[in-house]
Amino acid sequence: MGRSYFVDEAVGEYLSGLQAAPGSCVTGLLAGQSSPQRDFVVLAVQTPHRESEGQLKALKGVSPLDDIDVEWVTEHAKQVSRMLPGGLCVLGLFLVTPPELSKDAQNALKRLIFAVEKYIIKGRLWELSEEDVTDRVTLHICSKTKKLLCKTFDVKDPKSSAKPADWKYQTGISSSWPMLTCSVEVDLQIPVTGSSSDNTDKCMKDGLRRWAKQIEAAYCLINGRQALDDSELISGQAHVCSFQKKNPKTTNRQTLPARIFVSDEQSELGERSSALVQVCSGSMRVRGVVHCRAYIHNNKPKARHAAQAIKRDIINTVCSRVEMFLEDLCINEGSQKGLCSGQQALPRRVFAPMPISGLSVCDYMFPDESTADVAERLKEMLDCETPEEDIDTSLENNQLFSIISGFEITDSQDDDSSKHVSEIQAENHKIQKPPKYYAVGSGRYSSFMCGPCSSHCSPCHSHISTVFQLMEKAKMFV
Amino acid sequence: MLQCDFIFRLKGILEFACQLDNPNGVQSQSTISKSFQDLRSKVTSKNIVFTVCNSPVLIWPNTGFQSSVESLTEASACGDILQWIESDDGGSKKSSKKKDKKKSGPTVVNMKLLFEVTEPAGNTAPSLIRVSTQQHCVKMPLPLDCALSVTTDERLETVCTGLVEALNKQLADMEEVVLQYRKGSSFLVPQPFHFQLPEPAGLITVVYPAGVPDSQLQAVREDLHRKFELPCDRPYLRRANAFHFPDAAYKDGYLRNPHIHLNPPNIEDAKLYLVQGVYSYHHYMQDHVDDNGWGCAYRSLQTICSWFQQQGYVETAVPTHTQIQQALVDVGDKEPRFVGSRQWIGSIEVQAVLNQLLGVTSKIMFVSQGSELATKGRELANHFQTEGTPVMIGGGVLAHTILGVVWSENTGQIRFLILDPHYTGGEDLQTITDKGWCGWKGPEFWDQNAYYNLCLPQRPKSI
Repeated sequence: MGRSYFVDEAVGEYLSGLQAAPGSCVTGLLAGQSSPQRDFVVLAVQTPHRESEGQLKALKGVSPLDDIDVEWVTEHAKQVSRMLPGGLCVLGLFLVTPPELSKDAQNALKRLIFAVEKYIIKGRLWELSEEDVTDRVTLHICSKTKKLLCKTFDVKDPKSSAKPADWKYQTGISSSWPMLTCSVEVDLQIPVTGSSSDNTDKCMKDGLRRWAKQIEAAYCLINGRQALDDSELISGQAHVCSFQKKNPKTTNRQTLPARIFVSDEQSELGERSSALVQVCSGSMRVRGVVHCRAYIHNNKPKARHAAQAIKRDIINTVCSRVEMFLEDLCINEGSQKGLCSGQQALPRRVFAPMPISGLSVCDYMFPDESTADVAERLKEMLDCETPEEDIDTSLENNQLFSIISGFEITDSQDDDSSKHVSEIQAENHKIQKPPKYYAVGSGRYSSFMCGPCSSHCSPCHSHISTVFQLMEKAKMFV
Repeated sequence: MLQCDFIFRLKGILEFACQLDNPNGVQSQSTISKSFQDLRSKVTSKNIVFTVCNSPVLIWPNTGFQSSVESLTEASACGDILQWIESDDGGSKKSSKKKDKKKSGPTVVNMKLLFEVTEPAGNTAPSLIRVSTQQHCVKMPLPLDCALSVTTDERLETVCTGLVEALNKQLADMEEVVLQYRKGSSFLVPQPFHFQLPEPAGLITVVYPAGVPDSQLQAVREDLHRKFELPCDRPYLRRANAFHFPDAAYKDGYLRNPHIHLNPPNIEDAKLYLVQGVYSYHHYMQDHVDDNGWGCAYRSLQTICSWFQQQGYVETAVPTHTQIQQALVDVGDKEPRFVGSRQWIGSIEVQAVLNQLLGVTSKIMFVSQGSELATKGRELANHFQTEGTPVMIGGGVLAHTILGVVWSENTGQIRFLILDPHYTGGEDLQTITDKGWCGWKGPEFWDQNAYYNLCLPQRPKSI
């Protein structure tokens, strides 16, 4: 009575093609979509080599199983989760071992699957609902016989034991899965109390969580129809979007536009008779448009599951970017984080075709990065070669903003074909002239030229904090 | 009575937020006004959407009227919306109530205010803007609530435009209230209340600051009474006077005005004189108090107290038997051991308690024999016309409440509308009206030989 995993043929090919050094193990992720009746696996990716890994450590007495870098596997799982659009997630793990280790493989898989799940859900802004499937799949492959052993663990229950599951190959599992899309305007004003960087993180998390609840509770239309109840998701007329024009393989796929409507209702503020006032040391504002995507299987999906998938993608994409930005800031600014003022671009979302299935994956591009960087990451994290021209950066426009006295955000409409150069000179009232910033826009490749180092880095990570500090000294910002 | 067929009611929460550098500084007022201005822009933007509750209908009022349902266009009559609304009992379409049941008033169409976050104007990826100055961050949910009375042939588009205007006006009213009652960084939530005023004013909305009791809002009401040319001796605009929407249930579970479901007797040449406003039906066995056999006058008194509370004269809750008894001890009318006893009370005690607990004075009418009550038509008619309060009558061994009379000045024929506190069942309107626990009685209802005292409560002259 176990679960049934319907797996794309191409995943099978990938798994068969894995090379493991004799006596060693290969770990990897399995990704796809779960539904109450059955599960679909559309992607398998082996764990990339860690940079610090030189040769295989052949410590005496240490089994290769114990040598598995759990931390690295979980980190890889988290990175891959960020790259999956809505509806898709890391469903489980595979482990290739030589025959002599097969017996202990189950324990290793169990340890890994719980660790992976725990790490992936950390920092997530939405909770699993009653209906979400909490079974995760573990696939053991014997490197000699190529025999597959497929089991599931219920990650809600740490004491759960392995249950048998079916692993069936099929072609084109996801070729007709409808794709839900929408662009969502985000404008969150988040007060910051306290002054340490931990405070900033917590305030940001709290603010995002409140917004996430609004999105979860929001009214949703999919392809013009209400997506509330148990009615089936009826696919409307096929709408061919620009992405499909570039990738003819995907013309079978229907695109269903989603529309989201929120209310400012916050239950904790419900019955107040006076305003909530906090003394803040500052505030943070996240403002801009995010492009969202979700896939839903086509085995009689319910409209509300589709709505849930796109809503979770909306929440995830904003949360991921902020997380990535703050992680990056931590590296660059260190303990000074949270104290300076300024406007900085969050990484923007780009899409690329997924290996095998014709679905898309996404990545986030910092302003100083290019599609070459994205392609490199896709190679490392998803073990696939993606030609740079297949990476679609047109869905979210680059942020161009001028740094003048006070705060002004000029959202310019990027035009792929125009070259737009504007010199932005910071006005100075008193002290030294801050460095000049030039904006060079050429559609996909908008970047700033950084005064201090004249490199095309926008804004240059190593200099942005210095510049903003100078600006602050010059009383540039309120 | 309302002449409209529909009330479109739009509710929603809009969060008011602003950052004040110095809450006591001169800049703060303009910062607050700016935030309200932003909210007004928000409700006139293309992103606002009205959703009709219990239906798949969505309307975009600010994009030249678009709806999610093809058959509802700008030319549609607003009544067309009914066919899309699922009623609470599961069935859709118009209600198929029995013909002889009186129409319960206009149909309420409930709508909710939402904002679309998809289909944005631009496509620029997000930025993070950080400000690090000390500020007071103020957040307050504004409980928007607009109502529009319309006739069935009014165009849906006109209704929606009207609702957008009403939202704008309400935000302006809220801004005024917020600024007026603000002290530094202490802001009171502005709350809208609807009132049904005599024509031509009709259904209006007033914004009051939360937490400020009616007693402190006297001057505001005086202004409004002048503005709407309302009589200055009776309340129309206290919070308790707020319009009760026909589709809303009363949370306390008591029946309101069961008499409206009855048809008055058809007496030639006679006129109808009824209690004005709203009361709750109080009777034996309610509130887990077993007062069967002794509590009838107490229950009639509770009915009268409920009237004064719901007309806005008092804010105190309807008193319990114990509180009634204690009040009589407090005025010296009874010994302390009276409290907790099952002793009866009469009209005089009712008058004393109304005075002690509610500050209400009452007239006492004495009738030496029950047969004389038939001759009191003029007095009772006058009472219901001028005061309009329920009347407690005690005599023989029983107490009742008189809610009105049908009386002919010419023939002297009279019928009494009686609310009987001796009913021991549940709040079942059907039983209460069918079995005459609330019903029209003739002069033979009274014990012809017993003497009766009537307590006629007088309306205080206040607003």
